[in-house]
Parts: sequence; C-alpha cells; structure tokens
Amino acid sequence: MGTLTDPIKNKGLAVFEDLPDSRLITQLNSCVHCGLCAETCIYYLATGDERMIPARKVDLVASIYRRYHTVAGKLFPAIVKARDLDDDTAGEMVDLLYGACTMCGRCNAHCSIGIDIGFVIRTGRTMLSNMGMVPATLQSTVDAALVSGNNMSIPKEEFIDTLKWMEEELVDELNDPQAVIPLDQPGKRVLYTLNPREPKFFPLSIAAMAKIFYAAGESWTLSTRMYDVTNYAYFSGNINEASVIANRLWDEMSALKTQALVLAECGHGSAAFRWESPNYLHQKFPFEVMTSVEWIARYLRQGKIKLDPSRIKETVTLHDPCNLVRNGGIIHEQRYILRQCVENFVEMNPCGSDNYCCGGGGGQLAMSEYNERRIKIAGIKADQIRKTGAKIVVTPCHNCVDQISQINFHYKLNVQIKTIAEIVADALILP
Amino acid sequence: MAWYQYLTLISLLFCCIVCLMHLFRLIRLGSPVDYATPGVKTGPAIAYSFTGAMSPVKKESAYLHLPTYTAGILFHLGSFLSMIILAVHLFSPIITGFLSWPVAVFLFASGTCGISILVKRIIKSSLRNLSSPDDYLSNILVTLFQLATALSLILPAAGPVYFVVSAILFFWFPVGKLRHALYFFAARYHLGLFYGRRGVWPPKPR
Ligand code: SF4
Ligand code: SF4
Repeated sequence: MGTLTDPIKNKGLAVFEDLPDSRLITQLNSCVHCGLCAETCIYYLATGDERMIPARKVDLVASIYRRYHTVAGKLFPAIVKARDLDDDTAGEMVDLLYGACTMCGRCNAHCSIGIDIGFVIRTGRTMLSNMGMVPATLQSTVDAALVSGNNMSIPKEEFIDTLKWMEEELVDELNDPQAVIPLDQPGKRVLYTLNPREPKFFPLSIAAMAKIFYAAGESWTLSTRMYDVTNYAYFSGNINEASVIANRLWDEMSALKTQALVLAECGHGSAAFRWESPNYLHQKFPFEVMTSVEWIARYLRQGKIKLDPSRIKETVTLHDPCNLVRNGGIIHEQRYILRQCVENFVEMNPCGSDNYCCGGGGGQLAMSEYNERRIKIAGIKADQIRKTGAKIVVTPCHNCVDQISQINFHYKLNVQIKTIAEIVADALILP
Repeated sequence: MAWYQYLTLISLLFCCIVCLMHLFRLIRLGSPVDYATPGVKTGPAIAYSFTGAMSPVKKESAYLHLPTYTAGILFHLGSFLSMIILAVHLFSPIITGFLSWPVAVFLFASGTCGISILVKRIIKSSLRNLSSPDDYLSNILVTLFQLATALSLILPAAGPVYFVVSAILFFWFPVGKLRHALYFFAARYHLGLFYGRRGVWPPKPR
C-alpha cells in the first residue's frame, strides 16, 4: 500500500491543470528521446549513470503528464511509457530532480529540439513540493529564511556586530571616518543586499563592496531587516514561499524609499529576484534592479572608480555562475571588469553561457544527503580550473565560492577563490 | 480512387484534425506573460533559436554526435520529401519517369539513416533505457514510409503497400511522439523567447 493518497497525488498533478500559457505543454510533448543531451550534463559526464541523462529527468515529469493528460497515455500507457504518480515515481523524482540536477540549464541550449529542461525539472520540483516531498535539508533552509528573514538564521545583533566590525576595519584601512557601512538609512540611492554566507563566513566581501561604494561616492545603505538576496524556495519549487521571500525585498525597497536595488553576488538569488519575482508577484519593478557585477561595470564605464591591474600578477580565471550567466544574460560585464583589474586573465573551456556548473547550484549545497554526489560531479569543474593554470578563481556568486572552496580542498587545486567585488577592491585606486 | 487511397486520405484527415487541435490549444494558451520583461526585442532571439542556435557548430547534441546528427537530418529530409510525394500521389497517378530513380535512391538512403538510428537505439543501453515502444514504432513507421515511397516510385505495383503504410503512419502520427513535428516549433519559440528576454540570445560579440 503506497503512502501517496489521492488528495496528495492531486496536489502534485495540479501543476498540469489551469495552465497559464503554452510553455509547459510544449516542453512535455517535445522530447524525442534521442539521448543527445546526455553529455551536456555534469551528472552524467561525471558518473556515467544513465538515470542522470537530462532526458530521463524530463521524462519523469512528461511520463506522468502523458498518463493523466493524453489519450495514448490513458489507453495504452505501456506503449508511450506513461507512468502513474505513485510512491516509486515520486521517490525517483526526489532522487533525480532534487538530488541529480543543479538546474544549471546547460542541457537546454544543446537539446536537439530546444526543450527548456530546467523549466521541466523545476515544474517537477513544484509537484514534489505540492506533495510535501521537498528534502528536509532544503526545506529547513527555506524555513530559516521564512522564520528569521535570512537563510542562515543570523540574529540581528550578530549581523550588526559583524557590520560594525567591518566598518571599523574600513575606517582604519581608508583612514577616513566617513568610510561607513550605512544601516537602515532611508532615502539613499541604493539598497544593497547580501548573501547570508557573507556576514556568516566571508565578511571581508562586505567590506570589499563597501570600499567600492566609498570609492564611487555612492549613496547607499544596507537593511538589517531584510538583506538576504537568496531565495531557496526557487529551488524547492514552492512558489508561494518563493513569493513571500521575494516580497520582503520589495517591501524593504518601499520602506527605505531607495531608487535602486543592487543584488549581491549570488547567481540564483539574482535570477530568482530579477527574473522570477515580478512573475511571483504579478507586477513590474517600480525601481531599478541590477546585479552588483553590472553596477561595478557601470562605475568603471562612468569613470567613477579606477583600477590598477599591475597589483594582481597571478593568472586569474573566471567561473560563470549558471544562474547569472546562462540563465541571466550577464556574460560580458564580469570579463570587462576582470580585464581591467588583473594582468593575466584566462578563460576556462568551455566558458560563458556554455560553462559547466560548479555542482553547487540547484540547492545542492543545502542538501547534505547528496554531498558525495555533489563533490563527485565537481571533478569536471576541478579539471577545467586545473587546465587554466590559474592561481585565482573569480566567481560572482557566493554559492559558487562555497562549492569551489570545497572542490579546491577535495581536488587539491591550491587556488585562491574570490568574488568580483573582492578582486576589484584589491585593484581599486582610492580617491 | 482505390480503397487503400481512401484509407490514407482518412488517416491524413485524422492526423490533420488532431494536429490542428494541438495547434489551437497552443495558440489559445499563448505566450507566457512576463512581468520581468526587459526592454529588449525578443524577435532576433526567436529568429536565432531557429537558425544560429540550431547550427551544428553551436549545439553539442550535434557536434559531439556528427554521424547521428547527419543521419537525423537526412532522415527528416526524407520524411518531408515523402510527404510531398504522398500529396502528389493521392491525387494523381504514381510518378514514374527520369526523376523517380534519383528520388528513390535518396529515399532509400534516408530510410537507411532511419534504420541506423533504430539500430543505435537498440544497441546503446542509455538510449534503450530511455526509449518507449512508441520510439521504436515511430521510427519503424517513418522508415517504412520512406522505403515504401521509394519502392512505389520504381515499382508502381507496390502502390497498395505504400498507401497502407502511409495510412498507419498518419493514424499514429498525432498520438505518439511524432507530434514533436508540431511541438518542435513551439519549443524553439519558447526557448528563443526565454533567452531573448534574458539577453542571452542572440549572442553578443565579445
Ligand atoms: S536532446 Fe532534447 S529531445 Fe533529445 S532526448 Fe535530450 S531532452 Fe529529449
Ligand atoms: S539542468 Fe544542468 S544538472 Fe540539470 S539535467 Fe540539465 S545539465 Fe544536468
């Protein structure tokens, strides 16, 4: 006797009802099972496990759709491989859609038909989320954000202490009492966000961005109420929870009456906010939204900051976060910045919108049950990094920083890992 | 008209009606409303999705699998050609003459490509495990259709077999995976729209 009761199943199947547009049925009716997407996916490349071929993940969702929504699937399911949504199917979905996909979207552009595989996998995650089957580890990260306002449950006092500490360092370094980190100040031009990993583990990256704002003479503030740029509900597939989290930043923007929201270096946070939150909330942004990478590139173009590339002599390479680059269109700005702040910049191969995921996306870093798999698939990124001969890996995403740090340790790469703000701060010529 | 031609006509009519139903549903549901739409035109990205993005230089599914990709292209060309020939044959006597031999040779070649794809599906375990009976059936029907078309061009007596094979194909077409012939266009449209809105496609020069 299965544990999936009809009411639970119906919650999962609801994703196929009342479709808002033709996007989903298009993807679910398109796969020809040619299998040519296999080598696009780091999971299959690294493990050779056939179950991890992108088409197999698409088919998990599409086969359920066929079973309940196509004539052939209803009349002769065996012929069209239509599957019931039962315990076995749901269990396989959890393992493959949560545990074997970083939602990097690399397979999309290379699919012979052009199926948006990432979207299908996210739909599958929404089905599982509707049925209460989000892995507990991932759900606890979402819950932390919902309850405490940030995904690491950092208490407000601890957060303020960290920022004050960084501010003191900044004042000392710049020898200017005006070099402050403004908190909760209304009416500023920019509200800057953070990935909670920054105050928790990498506070120097906050100081780096503060230094850049200082050099550019920016009018900016951080919020102590809502600063978290991440949105793990985007990965869990729970659209209601994703909307609640996204809405907080919208609210904070209006509370502080700032004109522009600058998103910290976080691939999925940027994608979730920049591209998904207006659709979660059914409204267009009433304010400007930019990633910090674009913002820094703008400073450089406007001549508001100047960099000295001779300070960084080591070979530097760049890891492109999937959600910022392939799924977010920010491809050239980080290169434009890096070419001005280091002497020797080398690309990985492949790179840009074709880059391989580091293996930490899709919520993988939050799901400790898949740690072994996550480190194994990262072997591909380790090889890419090694081949560049670089001593510094720059990546504009704190999740990628975390994953590449683990790769660095596990695969003994012996590289330094920095964000764009950190390397820019290193090369910054102060006014 | 012989009975087998009527049979083919009925199957074609069925195929067209069901495909039109799919098409109307796609049109009725329409494009996604995107509140995050940036101020860029998505037209060039959609055009790129159907052109540059499909090129074997850009698609890993093509350049890592050139023999399969080439066989697939020839197989599809053979299908389109066979459909055009079927449309002619339904309303006029079977074509004979100097053109029929080269066309038949091409269709034998494209049919052979179909067989090679089928063999690959059978022997490669990752593909076999991905496949459903529909995948084999669809391949076999399209391959037979091309081979029967070729045969009918050089051997008019094969006409009844040719029309019966065609009829079976068009009954199965909108039911099984062959309906990707319609959804392919929708998929490329959506992908172009997605990457266009996000400024990924068409690729910008560095
Ligand atoms: S390449 Fe695309 S059409 Fe082919 S099996 Fe993979 S997902 Fe399906
Ligand atoms: S989105 Fe990335 S990880 Fe997921 S199936 Fe596609 S290539 Fe693999």
